[in-house]
Amino acid sequence: MQSFKRSLSMATVVTVVAITVGALGSGSSAASSTRSSTAATVISGIKQTGIGLTEPTKPSGARIKGGTVTWAEAPQTTPNYIFPMTNFSVCSDANTSDFSSLMYRPLYWYGNNYEPTVDYGYSVANEPVFSDNDTVVTIKLKPWKWSDGESVSARDVEFWINLYKADTANYCGYVPGFFPDNVKSMSTPNASTIVLHLNRSYDPVWFLYNELSQITPLPLAWDRTSLSQKAPTADNGHLPDTTKSGALKVFKFLDTQSKALGSWATSPVWAVVDGPWKLTAFNSDGEATFVPNPHYSGSPKPTISKFVELPYTSDTAAFDEFRSGGPSAVTIGYVPAQDVPQIPALEAAGYTDNRASSYSFNYFPLNFNNPKVGPIFRQLYFRQAFQHLIDQPGWINAFLDKTAVQTTNPVPPAPPSPLVKVSAANNPLPFSISAAAKLLSANGWKVRPGASTTCVKPGTAAGDCGAGITAGEAISFNLDYAGGTTAIESEMNDLEAQAKRVGITLQVTSHPFDTVVGAAVPCTPKQAVCKWTAENWGAGWIYSPDFLPTGESLFAPGAAANANGYSDPAATKLIDQTVFAPASEESKLLTQYAALMSTQVPVVYGPTSIGIYGGTAGTLVGDRLGGFTAQAFSYLTPEAWYLTK
Amino acid sequence: MILGVTVITFLLLHALPGSLARDILGTRATPQAIAQFNRQNGLDSSVWVQYWKFLLKLLHGNLGFSFRLDRSVDSLLATELPRDLVLGGLSLLLSLLIAIPVGIAQAVKRNTVTDYGATGVSFILYSMPQYAVALLMIQLFSITFNIFPAEAPQGVSWLNMLEHPAGLVLPVASLTLVSYAYFSRYMRSSAIDTLAQDYIRTARAKGLPERLVLLRHLLRNSVLTVVTLIGVSIPSIITGTLITEQVFNFQGAGLEYFNAAVSNDYEVMLGITVLVGVVTVLGNLIADVAYALLDPRIRY
Repeated sequence: MQSFKRSLSMATVVTVVAITVGALGSGSSAASSTRSSTAATVISGIKQTGIGLTEPTKPSGARIKGGTVTWAEAPQTTPNYIFPMTNFSVCSDANTSDFSSLMYRPLYWYGNNYEPTVDYGYSVANEPVFSDNDTVVTIKLKPWKWSDGESVSARDVEFWINLYKADTANYCGYVPGFFPDNVKSMSTPNASTIVLHLNRSYDPVWFLYNELSQITPLPLAWDRTSLSQKAPTADNGHLPDTTKSGALKVFKFLDTQSKALGSWATSPVWAVVDGPWKLTAFNSDGEATFVPNPHYSGSPKPTISKFVELPYTSDTAAFDEFRSGGPSAVTIGYVPAQDVPQIPALEAAGYTDNRASSYSFNYFPLNFNNPKVGPIFRQLYFRQAFQHLIDQPGWINAFLDKTAVQTTNPVPPAPPSPLVKVSAANNPLPFSISAAAKLLSANGWKVRPGASTTCVKPGTAAGDCGAGITAGEAISFNLDYAGGTTAIESEMNDLEAQAKRVGITLQVTSHPFDTVVGAAVPCTPKQAVCKWTAENWGAGWIYSPDFLPTGESLFAPGAAANANGYSDPAATKLIDQTVFAPASEESKLLTQYAALMSTQVPVVYGPTSIGIYGGTAGTLVGDRLGGFTAQAFSYLTPEAWYLTK
Repeated sequence: MILGVTVITFLLLHALPGSLARDILGTRATPQAIAQFNRQNGLDSSVWVQYWKFLLKLLHGNLGFSFRLDRSVDSLLATELPRDLVLGGLSLLLSLLIAIPVGIAQAVKRNTVTDYGATGVSFILYSMPQYAVALLMIQLFSITFNIFPAEAPQGVSWLNMLEHPAGLVLPVASLTLVSYAYFSRYMRSSAIDTLAQDYIRTARAKGLPERLVLLRHLLRNSVLTVVTLIGVSIPSIITGTLITEQVFNFQGAGLEYFNAAVSNDYEVMLGITVLVGVVTVLGNLIADVAYALLDPRIRY
């Protein structure tokens, strides 16, 4: 999520004031007025197959050996942590899928090109084998080597798990009760096999995508507590020191080394890699230069001779560089949301506009525990009525230049997944003022368009307003959003106008992105921090490192990201089933979960922007770059790329 | 004064809404992680205890640690200040080199076509948003004619910048144009006042060549106003180049300060605020010393 976060915060200053849509209070949706197609055609308008997506790019020129490929980092999303065990404060694509995974390969590779599935070809381990009623996981490693000549072994996996267990709460993939809490014991029957004994049966698909996804084998050379200490090897490593204090000392050493940004490229610690790339230069601005690791065991081997990541201070600075320098300056860039009209100029400069999506969905929460309006938000009919006010097709056309997909539940419609299929066009709660008004009227509210709708039937019986709502109570609350992005501002202004049409008063105000995220905290009604009502940071949720779109992190009671306090027995049961059921039922259960969440509206859904950078309006790919395919989970794979004349 | 600045800044920053821990750790953070973060960083202490700890660190030259950037504020400023000094210093120097003679020329030839023309240019530049000046320059000199790079020289060392002077042209020029307009107006006004003084008339009456009148009597006396402006402009070298840094891909302290402000990165904000406070005092001190050197009548 952080990559989008920084680009938004930068945009608060650098966004050129765009043409904003006015006259929102006139009674008709400004977004709707420009609508020219249905949701279905909007989705189909964003091509989700073909060159650069499901097929690698194939420039017509002759292939050359070597060459440098440059890649633009999104503003304020430069790498600042190299150790591939990221705590919450450094948990970002910039540190993982865009950076450390080039050097330190995760146990399993997520993103089979543009398909959001595991790619065993890129993985360090073979497909895991589940046995004993799915309580035992056996992982067999491939015969890979570290760059120091040591084998990638089961002890490397054990090393990672030991460090994780020593400081579980801080790791950004941690969900209480799950990995590694659910691993009763582990064993290494031989150097290339590790066996995990689980505390109960788990759905193998879920365990593979959301639990094993967190593991990155670590070289034994890192199993030390100081630089002056000799790097351990398989012969003398002291990995059996599995005590918490011992692991914490090693973790502290690696964490300290990871914070020394200036020494990354020369550090004997970070020089030991098993991925296709090694870091040869890095500066604290975030410019990183990689060259091929000649000892890389996997496939394909790099053919370009250098891969460089370039930092930018703002979308404007990056965009000017794309315009003035073209692909010879930046091979892979992105389309800033406000610069969509400039796509033809960028294509003329030598770029292909790649319209890949990252596996994510956009939403914003309403605080069910707010002491004043929380009781209203807890009413299902209200949430459904409110969702009816979101004009997704209109917003996509009018404010997002058709660079977003309609979102109706937590399962992303794009990239398409064989594990669960959802249709973005099938919205059970489409934009409809009359439907919203009807729902409110049917549940005890006197709807006063343009004025203030009030509860006239307090109580908990069918047709009443619901528990905690008093007679004469109006629906009025603050909606904070992350400022600086014209599209979000326009969307929120439109929503304010639509809400007024059914007598709901929204006080829509913009704040810095971090203020909005920081405000949306889980809370109880009596806490001072529970005053927030609705917070829209504009980025929603990116599935990483939990790559299966289940809801244990988002919508289970007490989940860390369940900021608004949503809880529903049917949803909780389905979430549990997606975690614990047999693998054969995962697809069916996920489909049911998606359908339920479409009507439950635990959060308010909004259009999800395309762009593998997250929140951008597309990816720019130089027209001399071959072998490029957008990765579903945004991992960079320059080892598959080549340049042409 | 600097102590007062730290107290006010510290209190204001801690009055900002939102949870710093939630902000830094993100929406996935567990309550345990948030509690641990607050405990480890002393955020669960009272604001005065936190301030006292900040002061103790400050006294030891430790400006704190940026959670957002995952690096110390000292190392951040050690990297970015020299680059800001090159960018801001060059533009300040250039703008003075242009503004002072132009301002004097306008005063000497006041109410002539030359004066009106220079005034018009100054007004246009002064009224143009710096953002627009920068974008126009990029469009013209980088995209349309491809003469200069659209971004400043990259690299963490200030020496990297000097090694690629072509990349410095547009960012320095965009800053210079705006500050030139500012300084030249003051210089013109001050020079007009000085020209009306008796000692100028006396110098001319005794037959001193006009060139020497301007250099020895007019320049030295009328530049005092600009010296004051330079003194108060020095802090802006650190934080006043925000727009230029954003548009020209220049990693500097001004941008860091802005990013820190919108991401509740308290320690970066405090560190830069303290630094700007110190530089403000120094800037005024330098201006005072310069007065004394330029005008022997001034005694402290």
